[in-house]
Amino acid sequence: MPKVVTREPMSVLERSFVPEIIRGLSTTIKHFFHAASGQNYHEKQHLWFLNKGNVTYNYPEDVRTYPKRYRGQHRLMLREDGNVRCVACMCCSTICPANCIHITAAESDDPSVEKYPASFVIDELRCIFCGFCVEACPCDAIRMDTGLHVQPFLDRNNAYYGRDLLMELGELSVAIQGGDKS
Amino acid sequence: MPKLTINGKTVTCDAGTPLIEAAKQVGEHIPYFCYHPSLTRPASCRMCLVEVEKAPKLMPACYTTVAEGMVVLTKSDKVIRARKAVLEFLLLNHPVDCPICDQAGECTLQNLYFEYSAQESRLKTRKVNKVKAFPIGPEVVYDGERCVLCTRCVRFCEQITKTNELTTTQRADMTEIRPFPGRELDNDYSQCTVDLCPVGALTSRNFRFKCRVWYLDTTESICTGCARGCSTYLEHFRGEVQRFRPRTNPEINSYWMCDHGRRLYREPHEDRLLNPFIKGVGAVPRNKGLAEAVKRLKAFRDAGRANKLAVVLSPQGSNEGLFSLIRFALKYGVERFYMNGKPDTAFTLRNEPDKVADDFLIVADKNPNTTGLRRLAEAFGITVLSAASLAADLESKKVDSAFILGANFPLDLDKKSKLWQKLEDADLVIFLGQRATPFTTLAHVSLPSCSFAEKQGSYINIDGIRQVAKAAFEPHGLSQPDWKWIERLSLRLQLGWEYENFEDLEAAANAKLAAPPAKELEEDKNAPAQT
Repeated sequence: MPKVVTREPMSVLERSFVPEIIRGLSTTIKHFFHAASGQNYHEKQHLWFLNKGNVTYNYPEDVRTYPKRYRGQHRLMLREDGNVRCVACMCCSTICPANCIHITAAESDDPSVEKYPASFVIDELRCIFCGFCVEACPCDAIRMDTGLHVQPFLDRNNAYYGRDLLMELGELSVAIQGGDKS
Repeated sequence: MPKLTINGKTVTCDAGTPLIEAAKQVGEHIPYFCYHPSLTRPASCRMCLVEVEKAPKLMPACYTTVAEGMVVLTKSDKVIRARKAVLEFLLLNHPVDCPICDQAGECTLQNLYFEYSAQESRLKTRKVNKVKAFPIGPEVVYDGERCVLCTRCVRFCEQITKTNELTTTQRADMTEIRPFPGRELDNDYSQCTVDLCPVGALTSRNFRFKCRVWYLDTTESICTGCARGCSTYLEHFRGEVQRFRPRTNPEINSYWMCDHGRRLYREPHEDRLLNPFIKGVGAVPRNKGLAEAVKRLKAFRDAGRANKLAVVLSPQGSNEGLFSLIRFALKYGVERFYMNGKPDTAFTLRNEPDKVADDFLIVADKNPNTTGLRRLAEAFGITVLSAASLAADLESKKVDSAFILGANFPLDLDKKSKLWQKLEDADLVIFLGQRATPFTTLAHVSLPSCSFAEKQGSYINIDGIRQVAKAAFEPHGLSQPDWKWIERLSLRLQLGWEYENFEDLEAAANAKLAAPPAKELEEDKNAPAQT
């Protein structure tokens, strides 16, 4: 059965549209002054209607501080000997909804490592920064806690971040890899 | 025929059937590690314990045989408690290195852990460390920590290959699988132990770390390594074959498959001819290659020399491809047919390099469809001569040009180079095949056909069993199935093509094959002996 929608008839004032136009334009003009004031939102404004602050940032001079848990550019964590922590289990590339992680696994010469990523490429243009890769990683090898956002690229090829580039920001993890053997 | 009840369902089966098989008949799956239908049953893993009424203890379902009036419970609380306990013991010293284990995703232990136990380890002491990544054989790597000691691999080597390489060493929680001193797991079926292994203790060197199993797409296919034509699962990822796995087929290969067949997983991708190729021009698009072939074939026929064209058939091809080529050739006016194919020595037994066949699965003929080719030849009433006689006939000018399907010739290097030389002087050489070989530069026109993995086709194995290999992925490059090239050639040369689609062609080929089985190949008496 179709739903019957009852509509309130417009009042005379509404039908004239004049007060509604004034109401709408006042919002527009308010935002115009916010933007034109050139002040940041955390600075106290001298006009009361500007107190809500400026929504536009003068990037890149004026950089927004990201929250601590901001999911930014990826990095690969390191082992104590400086090698990559990743064991190429493919959990991240499996969970990745954007299919942007490409890993080629290989057999390591180090018998205690066995499997390592011969290549580990993230297509940062494809990445949707959902953070599933970090959650899926069983050995704290991939993180997105660099606090950096991925830069814009002029060349698409520069957007493929390889293993060594991702390891540059990496550091030692506190997690013990391969379980406590002591 | 005893009649028993399993979880309230009544089942009747032969005396001597283990409970595990009886339960399968009524759709009740009983978990197990050490049981395998074709091996003996040590009942050592204790995973298949079930409750049998009036029995004082739980009974192993793999070893307990059915009896009249038996009442079996496979999902009672007592049984599930027992299974959880068994799993806890099995996982006690397990390294849980699933992220780097190739078995993860198809691991019985992993599946059963999620199904039954999913509990944290209560082990307070250190885990026992055992050997990791031990090269137990040329094709197989052993990981002692992952092993649950089901001894399926040991029993496989004892009972199926009868080579007795493996045994268990040490005792209790130090037990490991090892080859006997001075030996290694090097029989021709060693990778079957990898399939048998319910956990990741035995992994295949070829497949190791290459692809996670959950990425693999599986297609029903056959092994083209020899005329046995074992049923396989072709597992591929992003248009590349990653591995073959035997598909259970009691008529042909049972549960097994040889290592040589498995090693062919790279073959569909090696040295592929990806474009039509015209001598002196190079790689060209499909229509240009086809137009060139048509032009040359037409001129050849108009000169009244169609009977001088030799058609070389390949026992590597499917029935449909061979059917369309023979049909095309007969309509064109070809009189002499030859056969190439891989030599018997394409691979030899690992431990006896002078033997090309064993008494289990590997047969001497290394082509998957020799029987199909013979039957089609018989049905069409043509005589197929050997590859060696092609060189002799080119010499004696019985034929002076060739249409060649497939580039494998069962000839030694000397004879091959001689044949190459003859073909170089021939008036017309058209090659239809999947690999870029000397033919690509030698033939006037080379047309790329696709491998068995990229097309559907039927093959008849050495015992006359017809099997279908399905298409796994799209053809590489500009290649397309043999029959499609022949279809276009037939239409362009006004030879007729009455099959609307592949199903029509398949039906026509099948109708042809229903003819009485072929006699032995007629060898040309004057031809030199094959190698």
